[in-house]
Amino acid sequence: METATSIVEESIIKRSIESRTIIKKEVKNENNKPNLFLMKAIEAIKSAAYAALGLGLILVMWTLLCKYTHDELPGPIATLTVLWELIRDPFYDYGPNDKGIGLQLISSLGRVFSGFLMGSLVAIPVGILMGASDISKKIFYPIVQILKPVSPLAWFPIGLVVFKNSETATVFIIFITSLWSTLINTAFGVSSIPEDHKNVAKAFGFSKFRYLTKILIPYSLPHIITGLRLSIGVAWLVIVAGEMLSGGTGIGFFVWDSWNALSLERVISAILIIGTVGLLFDKVFTYFEKKVSYK
Amino acid sequence: MSHIEIRDMEISFPTPKGRYIAVKDINLSIEKGEIISIIGHSGCGKSTIMNAIGGMLNPTQGTVTVNGKKVNGPGPDRGIVFQNYSLLPWMSVYENIFQAVDAVMTCSKTEKREIVENNLKMVNLYEHRNKLPGQLSGGMKQRVAIARAFAINPSVLLLDEPFGALDALTKGTMHLELLKLWNLDNREKTIIMVTHDIEEAIFLSDRIVVMNDGPASTIREIENVHIPRPRNKLDIVNSLEYKSIRDRLLHLLTNKFSVEDMGIDYKK
Repeated sequence: METATSIVEESIIKRSIESRTIIKKEVKNENNKPNLFLMKAIEAIKSAAYAALGLGLILVMWTLLCKYTHDELPGPIATLTVLWELIRDPFYDYGPNDKGIGLQLISSLGRVFSGFLMGSLVAIPVGILMGASDISKKIFYPIVQILKPVSPLAWFPIGLVVFKNSETATVFIIFITSLWSTLINTAFGVSSIPEDHKNVAKAFGFSKFRYLTKILIPYSLPHIITGLRLSIGVAWLVIVAGEMLSGGTGIGFFVWDSWNALSLERVISAILIIGTVGLLFDKVFTYFEKKVSYK
Repeated sequence: MSHIEIRDMEISFPTPKGRYIAVKDINLSIEKGEIISIIGHSGCGKSTIMNAIGGMLNPTQGTVTVNGKKVNGPGPDRGIVFQNYSLLPWMSVYENIFQAVDAVMTCSKTEKREIVENNLKMVNLYEHRNKLPGQLSGGMKQRVAIARAFAINPSVLLLDEPFGALDALTKGTMHLELLKLWNLDNREKTIIMVTHDIEEAIFLSDRIVVMNDGPASTIREIENVHIPRPRNKLDIVNSLEYKSIRDRLLHLLTNKFSVEDMGIDYKK
């Protein structure tokens, strides 16, 4: 009796909550419709103002830091002038030690993408295996736990020995450090497939392939993309350090070369460019994340 | 031999505190085309029996036989409608049914498409075929789940608290929808349904299996419902047969019928 009444009560409560939320939603919509555009505009102006406030804070700190170092650190205006110079002619090529910032970026992006791509090609299948089977989880998880916290720079000598080539070694460290986020997120996504979805596959006798393409991948895709977003962030973080070691070309090399030439304006400009590119990566992957999420 | 035979079935699960016996000594024979309801309190193993027939779990002891074959896994002869619809949220209504048909049937693609379309039309969801499950109401989702189960043309249809989450009005329509599908199919499908709802069980079933409370629940009683079909909701509630079955079921399932039964002295 007790259980029966509690179930009835529960369902009544649920229903009343549901109906209330539905009513709320409708009211909201009606209020929003007429001045939706205005509200959006106000919202945009507000967030722009807050962003400007943050930017102002950074500029103040930067200026204070310049004062503190007795102008050894270049200030915002000097830096922005150099940055403008760099951006104005990004693709010049005056020999191996003097290339435009655009060319440096392109060579860095090439390394990041090849390392990231190979990393993902390994991480996604292994992540699926780890998420889907307990045995492969037991095999791979200790390896992941040991190798994941290793600094990218520690991998560089290994890369050099194996590939006998600093270019390939740089791609290798991108590969090995960008693996983990994708792998862990994929494994998590796959292991959290609800029993309901698995039951559908079981009840209707889905083949392994149908289960993979119609349930496993669609369900874990948002998790995989989140992993990829974090991974490309790591890859972009690591490339600068990698290229500082490997030399030759790339944005990391550019930072190191500018430091050796004592041009801190160029170093800070490079930092701003690196940050902006990182932000763009994040935006692109966030867009894909939203694209593949289902309601 | 009956269409479905359950012999001396016991189902138990290992738990950290030892084996938990969900149901035991279950003996049940179900004829082809019968509609059976299993009714009982929460946790009495109603769904466990369903899942054993569906092949979603194996009996620890005893056997389940469907169409003369021992059950050891799910099969296309049994269509299952899950408690929470279990539609895949990233697929359209059409695709949800098509994937099941495509997995089970061996006919050509064109025939499969035809089957999906016919079943969608049967539950009046053809116009909604391109919607995602998230865009449908509870009743519509349940109709998709039922259409999916019907589409693979099983001889047994298993419904696990199919209408539990629906409001009373939608529930009433769904009862008729289910009977419509059963009739369209010449009443050849055997339907087994788990429910909490006494009225629903009487309106739909030929027999009602009443379970004892768990753990280790057994079948308490099997009520025969002799109300002739087609049944009319308005008429049957006034019939003596209906009233007596309802009273018997109420007595079997509860022992308190008023606040006075709960030890409260009702002051007038």
